[in-house]
Amino acid sequence: MDIELQTLIKVAAYLGGGMAIGFGAIGAAVGEGHAAAQANRALSENPGISGDIVKTMLVGQAVAESAAIFALVIAILLLFLQVPAPTLLKAASLLGAGLCIGLGALGSGIGSGMPAAEACRGIARQPQLMGRMTTTMLVGSAVCQTPAILSMVVALMLMFINFGDAPIVKSVALFGAGLCMGLGAIGSGMGSGHPAGEACKGLARQPAAAGPLTANMLVGSAVSQTPAIFAMVVALMLMFLNFGDVPFNPAWAAFLGAALSTGLSAIGSGYGCGLAAGASCEGIARHPRNVGPLTTIMLVGQAVAQTPCIFGLLVSFILMFKAFPDTAALAPAMALLSAGLCMGFGGIGPGLGNGMTAEGAIRWVARQSEHASLLMRIMLVGQAVSQSTAIYAMVISLVLIFVI
Amino acid sequence: MKGAGKTPHPTNAMETIRALQKRYCSRAMLIAIGGALLLLVLGYKPLARGLVLGTLFSIINFILMGQSLQTRIGKTQSRPTLVALVSVVFRYALMAVPLIIALFYEPYHIVTAIVGLFMVQVVILLEGARNLLWNRSSTTGIGN
Repeated sequence: MDIELQTLIKVAAYLGGGMAIGFGAIGAAVGEGHAAAQANRALSENPGISGDIVKTMLVGQAVAESAAIFALVIAILLLFLQVPAPTLLKAASLLGAGLCIGLGALGSGIGSGMPAAEACRGIARQPQLMGRMTTTMLVGSAVCQTPAILSMVVALMLMFINFGDAPIVKSVALFGAGLCMGLGAIGSGMGSGHPAGEACKGLARQPAAAGPLTANMLVGSAVSQTPAIFAMVVALMLMFLNFGDVPFNPAWAAFLGAALSTGLSAIGSGYGCGLAAGASCEGIARHPRNVGPLTTIMLVGQAVAQTPCIFGLLVSFILMFKAFPDTAALAPAMALLSAGLCMGFGGIGPGLGNGMTAEGAIRWVARQSEHASLLMRIMLVGQAVSQSTAIYAMVISLVLIFVI
Repeated sequence: MKGAGKTPHPTNAMETIRALQKRYCSRAMLIAIGGALLLLVLGYKPLARGLVLGTLFSIINFILMGQSLQTRIGKTQSRPTLVALVSVVFRYALMAVPLIIALFYEPYHIVTAIVGLFMVQVVILLEGARNLLWNRSSTTGIGN
């Protein structure tokens, strides 16, 4: 049995390592490519400062690449990790760790490329703002890396914490923890890139508004990262809660469903919040005097955009804490897994839709702040309608959990 | 717009890149050597060696990033694409080397080797943070 477990550990570690750098490299490559593409455009607009543009691009790309380096570190650790006491729990942890950092680095890599791209274009327009533009780009890029850092923390915990002799169902919870954190970081990482990019673009348009732009970028990015924090909360609960003597079937499906519910629904909400924050930064750059109403409507829009993720969190909590009777049948387990999938996928669209609604409303508040209350009302009505699909998904999830 | 209408000058761009690399890389190595000396004084030799090893490869990676730009600027599309792809694969493989060394050779500690791999990024972000906190009005800032 020891030999089989040792093989299983190696399989899990190799698969985890492959997925870590495979997924992780996608984000950084896309982000760096986006920065390079916009640097080319900037060079054609202002060839005389090619040195400054290429320099900004290189610095931006170096920061965007951090996400891939996080993934690379975990991948190498997974490939060469020595596990003296192989267990099924450890195998599941290693697979989860690889998936966690791979998916987590994906969004941050893409997001970090956005401020780098806009900074290159901004410098082409306003070469004298080189220093301030680069600082804003670096702050924005660093904030975009937060979801990848959270993923790396969870991955390291999965790899190096000894979960002892917990029941076998805990292995599914540990894999779910990695999956949840990885998925949950995608939207927030990509979303945070929007305010950072728009802040760089806005700085070139309205250098006098640098202060409010940076503040708005930081607040908007922080709120955009809440879904990733929700995912981290669920991941930590799956890792550290003592679920007692739960039956393997259907608890395995409940744990996996809980991970998918929050992880997937966080993608839409994270990205949607980023769209709203980006529009707010753009609005401040166009009409700096409207910073007050813009910040208010951005925060309201982001709060509503997070509702699908909160539904996802609610379904996760139910799946984790409800006691399910022991059964040999597969159908009840599938119902619980489907509940998580239903809420997870069902939350992506409304999160994005709510973010797009907020984005539109914020743009118009920037232009016509005297109509802010009317625009906010229309935004809330639009978001409520967009939200209804998340409610349908939650209703079906609850039926799958409590009725079937 | 300053310089509008002129064609990009690859040599100027590369000179600027080289100056930037020299600045960040020397600072990264200084921080690493300073940290390593402190660790040596405290008696943590493997930690010190790991930090210097990781930083060295972080610097090589950053230099290669800039060098690959030189081969891409002013060339036709197919060759730069190939160069970019080969460069990325080569750089990622290179970044794995200190981690493998630290995993298999006890004189190098894996944790500080990982920290060292991010040393150039740390220098870039520290400079950005410094400008944001103490030099907000600067129009020169990073990279000049």
